[in-house]
Formats: sequence, C-alpha cells, structure tokens
Amino acid sequence: MIMKTDDHGGPTAARTIPVRVLRQDAPGQESYWERHDVPWEPNMNVISVLQKVAAIARSQDGRPVAPVAWDCNCLEEVCGSCTMLINGRTRMACSALVDRLLEEHPDGIELRPMSKFPVVRDLVVDRRRLFHSLQRVKAWVPVDDSFDHGPGPRISPEEQEEAYPLAECMSCGCCLEACPQFTRIETPKRDGETDEQLAARRTAAFDQGFIGAHAVSQAVLFNKHPTGKMIADERMAALTGPGGIQMCGNAQNCVAVCPKHIPLTRSIARAGRSATLWALKKLFDR
Amino acid sequence: MTLPSFVSRHQFLIYRLFSLSGLIPVGAFLVVHLLTNASVLGGAASFQSRVDMIHSLGPLLIPVEFAFIFLPMLFHAAVGFAIIAGGLPNVGSYPYMGNVRYTLQRATGMIAFAFILWHIIQLHWLGAPLGGGRFDPHHATSSAATVIAPLGVSLLYAIGVLSAVFHLSNGLWTIGITWGLWTSPAAMQRANVISIIVGVVLAAAGLGAIGGLRSTDVAAARQVETRMEDFKRMMEGQAPGAAAGGHGAAGSRVIVPAADAIDLRGPSEPSALVIPTPTTSSSPPGN
Repeated sequence: MIMKTDDHGGPTAARTIPVRVLRQDAPGQESYWERHDVPWEPNMNVISVLQKVAAIARSQDGRPVAPVAWDCNCLEEVCGSCTMLINGRTRMACSALVDRLLEEHPDGIELRPMSKFPVVRDLVVDRRRLFHSLQRVKAWVPVDDSFDHGPGPRISPEEQEEAYPLAECMSCGCCLEACPQFTRIETPKRDGETDEQLAARRTAAFDQGFIGAHAVSQAVLFNKHPTGKMIADERMAALTGPGGIQMCGNAQNCVAVCPKHIPLTRSIARAGRSATLWALKKLFDR
Repeated sequence: MTLPSFVSRHQFLIYRLFSLSGLIPVGAFLVVHLLTNASVLGGAASFQSRVDMIHSLGPLLIPVEFAFIFLPMLFHAAVGFAIIAGGLPNVGSYPYMGNVRYTLQRATGMIAFAFILWHIIQLHWLGAPLGGGRFDPHHATSSAATVIAPLGVSLLYAIGVLSAVFHLSNGLWTIGITWGLWTSPAAMQRANVISIIVGVVLAAAGLGAIGGLRSTDVAAARQVETRMEDFKRMMEGQAPGAAAGGHGAAGSRVIVPAADAIDLRGPSEPSALVIPTPTTSSSPPGN
C-alpha cells in the first residue's frame, strides 16, 4: 500500500486490492486461480471490481488475459443473477461492498463460481436446475386460458403480508449453494449424444435430485394462493416425490444466507406439515 | 423392480419412517435404558430389581429386543448412513449454529452406531478381550461395574452415551420441523429449549450411571445380588445357593418384590439380613 497526499492535503490510500479469481475457460475444463490487482476507489462493489478487472485485462504479473466472465443485471439485489462465492460464501456480487469485505479480509478478495452448478465460464454457472425445480413444483398460478373467468378471489391483507416475503425470492440460488443436502448434478455431453438425448438425461437426473429450499418455499407460496391452490395436490405430489422435501437435513443454512431474508425454514416446516397431512390423506382416503 | 427405483419411488415414506424410528422406538428405548442404568445410583439392589423386571420377560426378551430395538436401530442406521453419504457438510464455510448441529448430528450418529455395536458385542459375547467384561443379568451392578472399571472403557462409554444423547435430543428438535409440529422461528426456539432440557437430563442420567458404577463396591454389590438371587430361587422352592451361575428360564418368570421390601444391607451387617418367607411376603410369588 502506498500512502500519498490528496488534493486537500489529507492522507488517502492509493491502494490496490488483490483479487483472486477461480477461472475456468469452458464447461468440463480444469479450473485455475488467477490474481489481479485492482485500484481501490470509494464505494466499490464486487461488480465494479470485476469491471476494473475487465478494463485492465492483465493479471497481477502483467500477462494479458481475457476478461473474467460473470453474470449480472439489476445491480440492486433484486434480479438474482450475480450470485458467486465471495471469500468462500455465497452472496450477490452487487451488494457485496468492497470496503466491508476488506474489513473482514484485509488480504484481498477471493471470487469463485457457485459450486453446486456446472460452470459455463469463469464465474458464470448453468442454473437451469434451479428453474427446473420451480417447474417440478409448478411454482405459478395456473390461469393460462382462452376464456375470461372474471376476477379471482380476494386476498386479505393478512394473507398478502404472509405471501409477500415468499414472493421476494429472486432465484439467486444462495440457499442451494449453502445447503449441505443440495449437491451438484452435472451431465456432460457424451460422445455421439444428440442434444435431445442430453436434455432428456439431464432432466431425468434433475428429477431425482433435491428440489431445494427455494422451490419448497414457492410451493408453499402458491399453495396458499386462492387460485394457485387449485393444483395444490400436484405440488404436494412433487414435494413428496423423489428428491422432495424429505431430503432437507435441517441445517438451516438456506435461511441464514438468503439475501432477501425469506423465512425459508418456516416454509420448509409448513411444507413438512402439509406433506404429513397429505401423506395421511393419501394413505386413508384412497 | 430394482432396489434403486424402489427406494426412489418410496423415498418420502422411507425418510419419514427413518425420522419416526429415531424417536419411536429407538429414542424411547434410549430414554428407558439410560434411566434404568441411572437407578444404579440408588444402590445395587435398586438396579438389580429393574434388570430382573426386564428379564422377567423370559424367552420373550430376545424377540422383543429384536422387534423394538435392534431391527429399528439397524433400519435407522442404514438409512442414516445413506443420508450421510448423500450430503456435503460445509460447516467450514458456513459456521452457523444450525449447520454445526447438522454436522454434529451426523458425527454423533456414526459415533453412537460404532459405540452401540461395540457395547452389544462386548457385553453379550466378547467380554474381557475388548477391555472390561461381560454383563450378567443376575449380577447386574457388579458385572457392569467390572465392565466399566478400566478408565479407557469408562471414557468410551461417556463419549458413546453423550453422542447418543446429543443425537436424540437434537433429533427431537429436527423431527418436529420435519413433521411440521413447530413451524415458526419462535416455535422452533421454544422447542429447542425443550430439546436441550431433555438432552441435559439424559446426559446427567447417562453420566450418572457411569459414575455410579465406577464408585460401586463390586464385592458388596455381588453379595446383595446373590441374596436377591437366592430369594428368587427360594420363592420357586429351590435351595438357596443352587442358583450360583444359573440362568434358567424358570428363574426368569419370578418377579422379585421391590428391592426395599427386602432388607439388603451390605456385608458389614450380615446379621441384619432378613429375607421374608413366602407367607409373609407382601407380593406373592408368580404362578
């Protein structure tokens, strides 16, 4: 760190931040660490660090390197696309402020792609399993139709207040990354396999895997909704199917890392209660 | 149908039975077992009379043990090991309390399983070769005290008992979430307090039993047990002393009167021993 005097005569730190990035050039390839020195500026977040890395386009030892690839969009923690492992923990890069990170780890910043999803390139991962889980539990209100069914049932303010926190989910995948029960499923393309065959194999693999806290919570949200609950049984079948809610190990990391503070463990316990009742109903009512 | 597809189709049921079996009957057995053992703190006669009560099941004891203890425990362990194999503990990256408990739940499950295997094999068959000795239901306190006398064995028992107790009391908390008994964070917190209390009580009972056995005077306990054994024989019309080492099925049928009905003081006051005759006994002999 070099100390110098700024225009106003006060000391500022013209400092550089050492950044370690775990890079990977393509799916299935070996990953490797690369170091970058990024000049410090006030009010940086990890996205602006990555923008500087791209602008400098040189590693710490002066080698010209391709810019690090990453996902981001809204830059205000509502789109859920910039999830990565920052200093070993899953979080959104846009809301990870550099000064706060340096308070915790003065040695620099370490960036890695999420570990529970296949890497596409550098910090970009393939999160289609996350969305596949939402499809499995039919996380929507089924209203697609050609006819006008009139207005839907009224939702009381109390119900709205219950539902709103669950509706804040932005599919960032932090809950899945931190979950010790959610393990990576990767289906690399085999020799001579068509895209359709690969997609079918991948879907079959996803269908056996744990759906994850986000999907459980969305199932709870839409099973509470007066129109959404019309297909509640289909959601319960998915929740109690292979890789369903029973896979939860109650580590409760999901609720601890959720950037939107969604009460995921309450959703899981409520889904557990619904699953208990649904299983009894299936056992005795059939 | 292949095994993997059967397991996959019935995964929910299997996991729920796994969860239930941890509480009933395995957890319930652990509670009874630890509280029974803790009765050794009330003296050799107190523990012996409880052991006699269990062994009064006679030939039914083995099937009852298999149906309500061993088989459920093996099922719980088998599914448990499969669950552990499928998980990816990450407490290093996410050192939250819930995650620490998740990891400990798995560690204590494995420790408790290894301990229980050793505990059963040693007490039933192997005896001394693994340190300690064998358990003799007719000399419950003295034989158990001999088993646990080496310090290393006592420490292993303490680790095994504490692992099993943590696994049960933490499992009590997670069972309530799994089945949906407590759903809100506040309710989970209240349930957590209760599970901690249960854990502390059971840990005290388990460690108390170990401490009680370690401080037992083996020779004195053996005399008390022999007198109780003689009394049982006498109730059956057998000659006192004939029971030495005997473990007949007939002896198992008699329920010994509560220990305090007989004056069973230590060998220092042998003259004080009064064994009531069948005609004066408050509890008539069986059959």
